[in-house]
Amino acid sequence: MTTPQAEIEDLIARIAMGDRAAFRSLYDRTAAKLFGVCLRVLNDRALAEEALQDVYCKIWARAGQYRVNGFSPMTWLITLARNAAIDRRRKRDAGERRKQDPIDAAEMIADPGPGPAQQLQSRAEAEALFGCMAELPPERAEMVRRAYLEGATYNELSDATGVKLNTVRTWLRRSLMQLRECLSR
Amino acid sequence: MSGPEDTDLPGGWEAAAAEYVLGLLPEDELRAFESQLVQDQALQQDVEAWEAYFAAFTDDIEEVAPPPQILRRTEAQLFGKPRAPLWQQILPYFLGAVAAAAIAWMAMFGGLLQSSDEPDLWADLETPSRGLVMLAHYAPDSQTFMVRRDAGDYPADRSFEIWLIADPESPPVSIGLVDREQLTEIPVSDEIAAQLPGATVAISEEPLGGSPTGVATGPVLSLGQLEPREEL
Repeated sequence: MTTPQAEIEDLIARIAMGDRAAFRSLYDRTAAKLFGVCLRVLNDRALAEEALQDVYCKIWARAGQYRVNGFSPMTWLITLARNAAIDRRRKRDAGERRKQDPIDAAEMIADPGPGPAQQLQSRAEAEALFGCMAELPPERAEMVRRAYLEGATYNELSDATGVKLNTVRTWLRRSLMQLRECLSR
Repeated sequence: MSGPEDTDLPGGWEAAAAEYVLGLLPEDELRAFESQLVQDQALQQDVEAWEAYFAAFTDDIEEVAPPPQILRRTEAQLFGKPRAPLWQQILPYFLGAVAAAAIAWMAMFGGLLQSSDEPDLWADLETPSRGLVMLAHYAPDSQTFMVRRDAGDYPADRSFEIWLIADPESPPVSIGLVDREQLTEIPVSDEIAAQLPGATVAISEEPLGGSPTGVATGPVLSLGQLEPREEL
């Protein structure tokens, strides 16, 4: 009767009131996905474990700020996980300017899109996103993807493309507007 | 739609919303964006939409079970060390002994004794961001739970719901809505009354008439612990 989405929303609401049993249930249901996200961003098991601990401490502290907004509650959790992992990644990389894998239009292949529909709750968003990403020039789509999944900064995107920073930023903002226009269709 | 005035970058605030979600905004622009964000609902919706769409980048990421010590460490960080099991084992006997002593004492003094020895309980319930100040008060004499709204607006199309969390392991129980006009007075059952000392009271914002599901759905506005206090 209740959807998994509503159940997760209920758990978050109970956590906001200090319900520790609800906290543990939410952890049991979501930690594997969020750990996967942290591992993907950090590619380092020890750091990913630290990031995951950050994520659940933030969930406990911020559950009261969560508002049901029509999107899946997994969005909120994944955003917290992605941001915690990116924070750790940037701290790790602070100081050293990492060599970037070049982004070269000629070598780009179309993004294969999401795998089998294992994340049912975000299907609609996933279809829209991957459809609209495919309309962008491939190297710009790659910049968006790297910014989200690897926390690439404008400096790093500039290194990866060999294009001046301001130009990269102008390109990317145009692409984001194009993406927004496509997504709102 | 105007962006930060000192840039001629395309896209204005709308493009900045996506940069914000990606973590691409430079420090100074980030501060300007965040102060715009708190007062601009359309921009908040943009941010939420970008978060939802970009989260789809994680769709094909495989789940990986984290090692079990992560949950233990997180709970220890949040809740402190688990209570000594010995204490938990002894507690019921200890309470039993206290109850037995109390019953013996009450028997000695016969009907003289009412419940007036139980102290009144109070909890401050404040939401600084909304200017809301409420006070919860439990009077054991009349077995009445009261909530007084001292400051802040009560939105016309929403209800404030009162929840009782007797201990961290049990789900919150709704005990009623905050009255829109006057002092909220809720008679409570013996069962609820027994759970009140030390319990946490929460106020959440719900659709009119209260949560339709029996579980809080809205943002939690405030939390407070019920405790005796010096006479006011």
